[in-house]
Amino acid sequence: MSGRETKTFVVTRFDPDRDEAPRTQEYEVPVRGDWKVLDALNYIKDEVDPTLSHRWSCRMAVCGSCGMQVNGEPKLTCKTALREYGERVEVGPLANFPVVRDLVIEMDGFMERLSAVKPWILEAKGAAEVEGPHRQTPDELAAFKQYSMCINCMLCYAACPVVANEPDFLGPAALALGHRYNQDSRDHGASERHEVFRGEGGVFSCSYANECSEVCPKNVDPSKAIQQAKLLNVLDWAKGFVVPRGGK
Amino acid sequence: MRARVDAMKSSRPPRTRTADPTPPPNFWRRGNYLPYIAFGSCGLLLFAVGFGLLRLVWTLGSGDPAAWNAIFESYGHPLYLAFHAFALVALTWFTFRFFRLFPKTQPPKLGPLPRPPDSVFLLGLGGAFFVATTLASLVLGGALP
Repeated sequence: MSGRETKTFVVTRFDPDRDEAPRTQEYEVPVRGDWKVLDALNYIKDEVDPTLSHRWSCRMAVCGSCGMQVNGEPKLTCKTALREYGERVEVGPLANFPVVRDLVIEMDGFMERLSAVKPWILEAKGAAEVEGPHRQTPDELAAFKQYSMCINCMLCYAACPVVANEPDFLGPAALALGHRYNQDSRDHGASERHEVFRGEGGVFSCSYANECSEVCPKNVDPSKAIQQAKLLNVLDWAKGFVVPRGGK
Repeated sequence: MRARVDAMKSSRPPRTRTADPTPPPNFWRRGNYLPYIAFGSCGLLLFAVGFGLLRLVWTLGSGDPAAWNAIFESYGHPLYLAFHAFALVALTWFTFRFFRLFPKTQPPKLGPLPRPPDSVFLLGLGGAFFVATTLASLVLGGALP
Protein backbone atom coordinates (compact mmCIF):
# COMPACT_ATOMS: atom_id res chain seq x y z
CA MET A 1 0.00 0.00 0.00
CA SER A 2 1.60 3.33 -1.04
CA GLY A 3 2.38 5.96 1.59
CA ARG A 4 1.98 3.46 4.34
CA GLU A 5 4.44 1.84 6.70
CA THR A 6 3.81 -1.53 8.28
CA LYS A 7 4.09 -1.73 12.05
CA THR A 8 3.67 -4.75 14.29
CA PHE A 9 1.12 -4.32 17.04
CA VAL A 10 1.45 -6.58 20.06
CA VAL A 11 -1.99 -6.40 21.59
CA THR A 12 -3.06 -7.88 24.91
CA ARG A 13 -6.01 -10.24 24.51
CA PHE A 14 -8.19 -11.72 27.23
CA ASP A 15 -11.42 -13.61 26.83
CA PRO A 16 -12.91 -14.39 30.25
CA ASP A 17 -14.70 -17.43 28.81
CA ARG A 18 -11.58 -19.00 27.32
CA ASP A 19 -8.37 -17.54 28.70
CA GLU A 20 -6.98 -18.26 32.13
CA ALA A 21 -4.86 -15.10 31.96
CA PRO A 22 -4.20 -12.33 29.43
CA ARG A 23 -2.05 -13.23 26.43
CA THR A 24 -0.67 -11.23 23.54
CA GLN A 25 -1.46 -11.37 19.83
CA GLU A 26 0.50 -9.76 17.01
CA TYR A 27 -1.02 -7.86 14.10
CA GLU A 28 0.70 -6.35 11.06
CA VAL A 29 -0.91 -3.01 10.31
CA PRO A 30 -0.20 -0.72 7.33
CA VAL A 31 -0.28 2.64 9.10
CA ARG A 32 -0.43 6.12 7.62
CA GLY A 33 1.94 8.83 8.80
CA ASP A 34 -0.76 10.83 10.55
CA TRP A 35 -2.39 7.93 12.37
CA LYS A 36 -2.85 7.74 16.10
CA VAL A 37 -2.63 4.49 18.05
CA LEU A 38 -6.43 4.39 18.14
CA ASP A 39 -6.59 4.48 14.32
CA ALA A 40 -4.48 1.33 14.21
CA LEU A 41 -6.68 -0.41 16.78
CA ASN A 42 -9.78 0.53 14.80
CA TYR A 43 -8.11 -0.81 11.65
CA ILE A 44 -7.44 -4.12 13.39
CA LYS A 45 -11.04 -4.25 14.62
CA ASP A 46 -12.55 -3.32 11.24
CA GLU A 47 -10.23 -5.08 8.81
CA VAL A 48 -8.32 -7.86 10.57
CA ASP A 49 -9.90 -9.18 13.75
CA PRO A 50 -13.44 -8.12 14.71
CA THR A 51 -13.16 -9.96 18.04
CA LEU A 52 -10.80 -7.31 19.45
CA SER A 53 -12.47 -5.23 22.17
CA HIS A 54 -11.45 -1.71 23.06
CA ARG A 55 -13.20 1.44 24.29
CA TRP A 56 -13.23 4.70 22.39
CA SER A 57 -15.63 7.46 21.51
CA CYS A 58 -14.75 11.09 20.73
CA ARG A 59 -11.31 10.75 19.06
CA MET A 60 -10.38 14.22 20.34
CA ALA A 61 -9.05 13.67 23.88
CA VAL A 62 -12.24 14.83 25.51
CA CYS A 63 -14.23 11.73 26.50
CA GLY A 64 -11.40 9.88 28.27
CA SER A 65 -12.52 6.47 27.00
CA CYS A 66 -9.49 5.28 25.07
CA GLY A 67 -6.82 5.16 27.79
CA MET A 68 -4.46 2.19 27.35
CA GLN A 69 -0.87 1.17 28.03
CA VAL A 70 1.18 1.97 24.92
CA ASN A 71 4.67 0.51 25.16
CA GLY A 72 4.15 0.28 28.91
CA GLU A 73 3.01 3.86 29.46
CA PRO A 74 -0.54 4.99 30.09
CA LYS A 75 -1.71 7.05 27.09
CA LEU A 76 -4.87 8.35 25.49
CA THR A 77 -4.65 6.38 22.27
CA CYS A 78 -6.57 9.00 20.27
CA LYS A 79 -3.92 11.57 21.18
CA THR A 80 -0.83 9.40 20.80
CA ALA A 81 0.79 9.65 17.37
CA LEU A 82 2.14 6.42 15.94
CA ARG A 83 5.11 8.23 14.42
CA GLU A 84 6.52 8.51 17.98
CA TYR A 85 6.99 4.75 18.02
CA GLY A 86 9.19 2.29 16.19
CA GLU A 87 8.29 -0.82 14.21
CA ARG A 88 6.81 -2.59 17.19
CA VAL A 89 4.06 -1.12 19.34
CA GLU A 90 2.74 -2.86 22.44
CA VAL A 91 -0.83 -2.02 23.45
CA GLY A 92 -2.38 -3.31 26.65
CA PRO A 93 -5.22 -2.47 29.04
CA LEU A 94 -4.60 0.22 31.65
CA ALA A 95 -2.35 -1.05 34.43
CA ASN A 96 -3.63 -1.46 38.00
CA PHE A 97 -7.19 -2.24 36.86
CA PRO A 98 -8.99 -5.59 36.60
CA VAL A 99 -9.43 -6.48 32.92
CA VAL A 100 -12.89 -7.28 31.59
CA ARG A 101 -11.82 -8.25 28.09
CA ASP A 102 -8.85 -7.51 25.81
CA LEU A 103 -8.17 -3.78 26.27
CA VAL A 104 -11.29 -3.05 28.31
CA ILE A 105 -10.85 -2.49 32.04
CA GLU A 106 -13.37 -2.76 34.87
CA MET A 107 -14.38 0.81 35.81
CA ASP A 108 -16.73 0.22 38.73
CA GLY A 109 -13.98 0.58 41.33
CA PHE A 110 -13.05 3.95 39.86
CA MET A 111 -16.65 5.16 39.82
CA GLU A 112 -17.05 4.21 43.49
CA ARG A 113 -13.92 6.13 44.43
CA LEU A 114 -15.08 9.10 42.42
CA SER A 115 -18.47 9.32 44.09
CA ALA A 116 -16.86 8.90 47.55
CA VAL A 117 -15.41 12.43 47.38
CA LYS A 118 -18.81 13.98 46.49
CA PRO A 119 -17.68 15.67 43.27
CA TRP A 120 -20.54 18.13 43.07
CA ILE A 121 -21.32 21.47 44.67
CA LEU A 122 -22.60 21.04 48.20
CA GLU A 123 -24.81 23.97 49.07
CA ALA A 124 -25.04 25.65 52.43
CA LYS A 125 -28.53 25.00 53.79
CA GLY A 126 -31.01 27.35 52.13
CA ALA A 127 -28.30 29.19 50.21
CA ALA A 128 -29.81 28.63 46.78
CA GLU A 129 -33.21 30.10 47.72
CA VAL A 130 -31.83 33.07 49.59
CA GLU A 131 -28.82 34.15 47.56
CA GLY A 132 -29.94 33.58 43.99
CA PRO A 133 -27.24 33.01 41.35
CA HIS A 134 -23.72 32.32 42.52
CA ARG A 135 -21.31 34.92 41.22
CA GLN A 136 -17.65 34.12 40.87
CA THR A 137 -14.68 36.36 40.13
CA PRO A 138 -11.98 35.32 37.61
CA ASP A 139 -9.59 34.80 40.53
CA GLU A 140 -12.06 32.50 42.26
CA LEU A 141 -12.43 30.53 39.04
CA ALA A 142 -8.66 30.35 38.58
CA ALA A 143 -8.32 28.71 42.01
CA PHE A 144 -9.85 25.47 40.74
CA LYS A 145 -10.14 25.67 36.95
CA GLN A 146 -7.06 23.53 36.31
CA TYR A 147 -8.50 20.71 38.43
CA SER A 148 -11.83 20.85 36.63
CA MET A 149 -10.18 19.86 33.34
CA CYS A 150 -10.09 16.17 34.35
CA ILE A 151 -11.77 13.89 31.79
CA ASN A 152 -11.72 10.79 34.04
CA CYS A 153 -9.49 8.88 31.64
CA MET A 154 -7.89 7.00 34.57
CA LEU A 155 -4.36 7.22 33.17
CA CYS A 156 -3.30 8.61 36.55
CA TYR A 157 -4.53 5.44 38.26
CA ALA A 158 -2.53 3.30 35.86
CA ALA A 159 0.62 5.30 36.64
CA CYS A 160 0.28 5.53 40.42
CA PRO A 161 2.39 3.14 42.53
CA VAL A 162 0.10 3.65 45.52
CA VAL A 163 -2.96 2.53 43.54
CA ALA A 164 -1.10 -0.69 42.72
CA ASN A 165 -0.38 -1.41 46.38
CA GLU A 166 -3.15 0.12 48.43
CA PRO A 167 -6.60 -1.11 47.39
CA ASP A 168 -8.44 1.49 49.51
CA PHE A 169 -6.61 4.47 48.00
CA LEU A 170 -9.14 6.87 46.49
CA GLY A 171 -6.60 7.73 43.82
CA PRO A 172 -5.39 10.84 41.98
CA ALA A 173 -8.41 11.80 39.87
CA ALA A 174 -10.97 11.39 42.65
CA LEU A 175 -8.90 13.30 45.21
CA ALA A 176 -8.06 16.07 42.73
CA LEU A 177 -11.73 16.41 41.87
CA GLY A 178 -12.66 16.57 45.55
CA HIS A 179 -10.03 19.29 46.01
CA ARG A 180 -11.44 21.09 42.97
CA TYR A 181 -14.82 21.42 44.72
CA ASN A 182 -13.20 22.37 48.02
CA GLN A 183 -11.54 25.27 46.18
CA ASP A 184 -14.78 26.36 44.52
CA SER A 185 -16.15 29.53 46.13
CA ARG A 186 -19.72 28.29 45.53
CA ASP A 187 -19.18 25.10 47.51
CA HIS A 188 -19.80 24.67 51.24
CA GLY A 189 -18.88 21.03 51.67
CA ALA A 190 -15.13 21.21 52.33
CA SER A 191 -15.38 19.92 55.89
CA GLU A 192 -17.49 17.00 54.72
CA ARG A 193 -14.92 16.09 52.05
CA HIS A 194 -12.01 16.57 54.44
CA GLU A 195 -13.49 13.80 56.59
CA VAL A 196 -13.23 11.51 53.55
CA PHE A 197 -9.79 12.87 52.66
CA ARG A 198 -8.29 12.04 56.05
CA GLY A 199 -9.93 8.61 56.20
CA GLU A 200 -8.55 5.29 55.00
CA GLY A 201 -7.05 5.67 51.52
CA GLY A 202 -7.36 9.46 51.59
CA VAL A 203 -4.85 12.16 50.73
CA PHE A 204 -2.27 10.98 53.26
CA SER A 205 -1.85 7.68 51.42
CA CYS A 206 -0.29 9.64 48.55
CA SER A 207 3.51 9.56 48.74
CA TYR A 208 3.96 12.16 45.98
CA ALA A 209 5.48 9.98 43.28
CA ASN A 210 4.08 12.59 40.86
CA GLU A 211 3.54 9.99 38.14
CA CYS A 212 -0.14 10.95 37.91
CA SER A 213 0.78 14.47 36.86
CA GLU A 214 3.40 13.18 34.43
CA VAL A 215 0.89 11.12 32.47
CA CYS A 216 -2.15 13.41 32.71
CA PRO A 217 -3.17 14.31 29.12
CA LYS A 218 -5.02 17.44 30.27
CA ASN A 219 -2.29 18.85 32.57
CA VAL A 220 -4.58 18.68 35.56
CA ASP A 221 -1.64 18.04 37.93
CA PRO A 222 -3.48 15.79 40.40
CA SER A 223 -0.42 15.38 42.62
CA LYS A 224 -0.32 19.14 43.18
CA ALA A 225 -4.01 19.08 44.12
CA ILE A 226 -3.44 16.23 46.58
CA GLN A 227 -0.49 17.92 48.29
CA GLN A 228 -2.50 21.11 48.65
CA ALA A 229 -5.43 19.10 49.97
CA LYS A 230 -3.13 17.58 52.63
CA LEU A 231 -2.26 20.99 54.04
CA LEU A 232 -5.85 22.24 53.95
CA ASN A 233 -6.92 18.98 55.57
CA VAL A 234 -4.55 19.50 58.49
CA LEU A 235 -5.81 23.07 58.90
CA ASP A 236 -9.41 21.80 58.85
CA TRP A 237 -8.52 19.16 61.44
CA ALA A 238 -6.86 21.78 63.66
CA LYS A 239 -9.84 24.11 63.23
CA GLY A 240 -12.04 21.35 64.62
CA PHE A 241 -10.46 21.90 68.05
CA VAL A 242 -11.57 25.52 68.25
CA VAL A 243 -14.66 25.72 66.05
CA PRO A 244 -17.41 23.07 66.31
CA ARG A 245 -17.90 20.93 63.20
CA GLY A 246 -20.09 22.69 60.67
CA GLY A 247 -19.02 26.10 61.99
CA LYS A 248 -17.33 28.70 59.83
CA MET B 1 6.78 -5.86 41.70
CA ARG B 2 3.17 -6.91 41.14
CA ALA B 3 0.00 -4.92 41.56
CA ARG B 4 -2.24 -6.27 44.28
CA VAL B 5 -4.98 -8.49 42.90
CA ASP B 6 -7.56 -6.33 44.66
CA ALA B 7 -6.23 -3.04 43.24
CA MET B 8 -9.08 -0.86 41.91
CA LYS B 9 -11.63 -3.53 42.70
CA SER B 10 -15.25 -2.54 43.17
CA SER B 11 -17.19 -3.36 46.34
CA ARG B 12 -19.62 -5.27 44.10
CA PRO B 13 -18.58 -8.47 42.38
CA PRO B 14 -17.74 -7.97 38.68
CA ARG B 15 -20.36 -8.98 36.12
CA THR B 16 -17.90 -11.28 34.37
CA ARG B 17 -14.67 -12.95 35.38
CA THR B 18 -11.86 -10.40 35.21
CA ALA B 19 -8.10 -10.74 34.80
CA ASP B 20 -5.97 -9.51 37.70
CA PRO B 21 -4.53 -6.01 37.51
CA THR B 22 -0.91 -5.75 36.45
CA PRO B 23 1.57 -2.91 36.95
CA PRO B 24 3.28 -1.41 33.90
CA PRO B 25 6.27 -3.55 32.85
CA ASN B 26 9.59 -2.28 34.23
CA PHE B 27 7.71 0.59 35.80
CA TRP B 28 10.54 1.38 38.18
CA ARG B 29 12.86 2.27 35.32
CA ARG B 30 10.40 4.72 33.81
CA GLY B 31 9.59 8.36 34.49
CA ASN B 32 10.31 9.67 37.94
CA TYR B 33 10.23 6.41 39.86
CA LEU B 34 13.95 6.19 40.59
CA PRO B 35 14.25 9.71 42.08
CA TYR B 36 10.97 9.07 43.90
CA ILE B 37 12.29 5.86 45.43
CA ALA B 38 15.65 7.50 46.23
CA PHE B 39 13.83 10.42 47.88
CA GLY B 40 11.79 8.02 50.01
CA SER B 41 14.88 5.95 50.83
CA CYS B 42 16.57 9.05 52.22
CA GLY B 43 14.18 8.58 55.13
CA LEU B 44 16.27 5.56 56.17
CA LEU B 45 19.39 7.70 55.95
CA LEU B 46 17.79 10.38 58.12
CA PHE B 47 16.85 7.60 60.55
CA ALA B 48 20.49 6.41 60.69
CA VAL B 49 21.91 9.92 61.08
CA GLY B 50 19.30 10.65 63.75
CA PHE B 51 20.38 7.59 65.72
CA GLY B 52 24.00 8.74 65.42
CA LEU B 53 23.03 12.10 66.91
CA LEU B 54 21.08 10.40 69.70
CA ARG B 55 24.14 8.32 70.50
CA LEU B 56 26.17 11.50 70.75
CA VAL B 57 23.64 13.17 73.05
CA TRP B 58 23.37 10.02 75.18
CA THR B 59 27.14 9.89 75.60
CA LEU B 60 27.29 13.59 76.37
CA GLY B 61 24.60 13.09 79.01
CA SER B 62 26.55 10.26 80.62
CA GLY B 63 29.32 12.76 81.48
CA ASP B 64 32.16 10.38 80.59
CA PRO B 65 34.93 12.25 78.69
CA ALA B 66 36.58 8.96 77.61
CA ALA B 67 33.37 7.75 75.95
CA TRP B 68 32.92 11.15 74.27
CA ASN B 69 36.46 11.07 72.89
CA ALA B 70 36.01 7.47 71.74
CA ILE B 71 33.05 8.51 69.61
CA PHE B 72 35.04 11.25 67.93
CA GLU B 73 37.91 8.86 67.31
CA SER B 74 35.49 6.39 65.71
CA TYR B 75 34.48 9.12 63.26
CA GLY B 76 37.95 8.89 61.75
CA HIS B 77 37.30 5.33 60.60
CA PRO B 78 37.17 5.10 56.78
CA LEU B 79 33.70 3.53 56.87
CA TYR B 80 32.36 6.38 58.97
CA LEU B 81 34.01 8.92 56.66
CA ALA B 82 32.46 7.24 53.63
CA PHE B 83 29.06 7.10 55.34
CA HIS B 84 29.16 10.76 56.27
CA ALA B 85 30.32 11.81 52.79
CA PHE B 86 27.47 9.79 51.27
CA ALA B 87 24.98 11.19 53.78
CA LEU B 88 26.11 14.75 53.02
CA VAL B 89 25.59 14.33 49.28
CA ALA B 90 22.32 12.39 49.61
CA LEU B 91 20.74 14.67 52.17
CA THR B 92 21.77 17.80 50.28
CA TRP B 93 20.03 16.38 47.19
CA PHE B 94 17.05 15.41 49.38
CA THR B 95 16.84 18.95 50.77
CA PHE B 96 16.99 20.63 47.39
CA ARG B 97 14.34 18.29 45.99
CA PHE B 98 12.18 18.93 49.01
CA PHE B 99 12.53 22.70 48.57
CA ARG B 100 11.66 22.36 44.89
CA LEU B 101 8.52 20.35 45.64
CA PHE B 102 7.35 22.34 48.65
CA PRO B 103 5.96 25.44 46.86
CA LYS B 104 3.74 23.22 44.70
CA THR B 105 2.06 21.87 47.79
CA GLN B 106 0.77 25.25 48.92
CA PRO B 107 -2.88 25.96 48.11
CA PRO B 108 -3.91 29.21 46.37
CA LYS B 109 -5.41 30.51 49.61
CA LEU B 110 -4.55 29.75 53.20
CA GLY B 111 -7.63 30.88 55.11
CA PRO B 112 -8.13 34.53 54.20
CA LEU B 113 -4.54 35.01 53.00
CA PRO B 114 -3.52 34.60 49.35
CA ARG B 115 -0.70 32.24 48.49
CA PRO B 116 2.66 34.03 48.26
CA PRO B 117 4.55 33.65 44.95
CA ASP B 118 6.92 30.68 44.54
CA SER B 119 9.95 32.96 44.87
CA VAL B 120 8.99 33.75 48.47
CA PHE B 121 8.96 30.04 49.39
CA LEU B 122 12.22 29.43 47.57
CA LEU B 123 13.91 32.43 49.16
CA GLY B 124 12.61 31.53 52.62
CA LEU B 125 13.48 27.86 52.47
CA GLY B 126 16.78 28.46 50.64
CA GLY B 127 17.67 31.13 53.22
CA ALA B 128 16.91 28.75 56.08
CA PHE B 129 19.06 26.10 54.43
CA PHE B 130 21.92 28.58 53.95
CA VAL B 131 21.77 29.89 57.53
CA ALA B 132 21.60 26.37 59.02
CA THR B 133 24.51 25.17 56.85
CA THR B 134 26.63 28.23 57.67
CA LEU B 135 25.95 27.90 61.41
CA ALA B 136 26.78 24.18 61.37
CA SER B 137 29.97 24.85 59.41
CA LEU B 138 31.05 27.59 61.84
CA VAL B 139 30.37 25.39 64.87
CA LEU B 140 32.09 22.33 63.41
CA GLY B 141 34.99 24.49 62.16
CA GLY B 142 35.53 25.84 65.67
CA ALA B 143 34.76 29.45 64.77
CA LEU B 144 31.80 29.47 67.16
CA PRO B 145 31.76 27.93 70.64
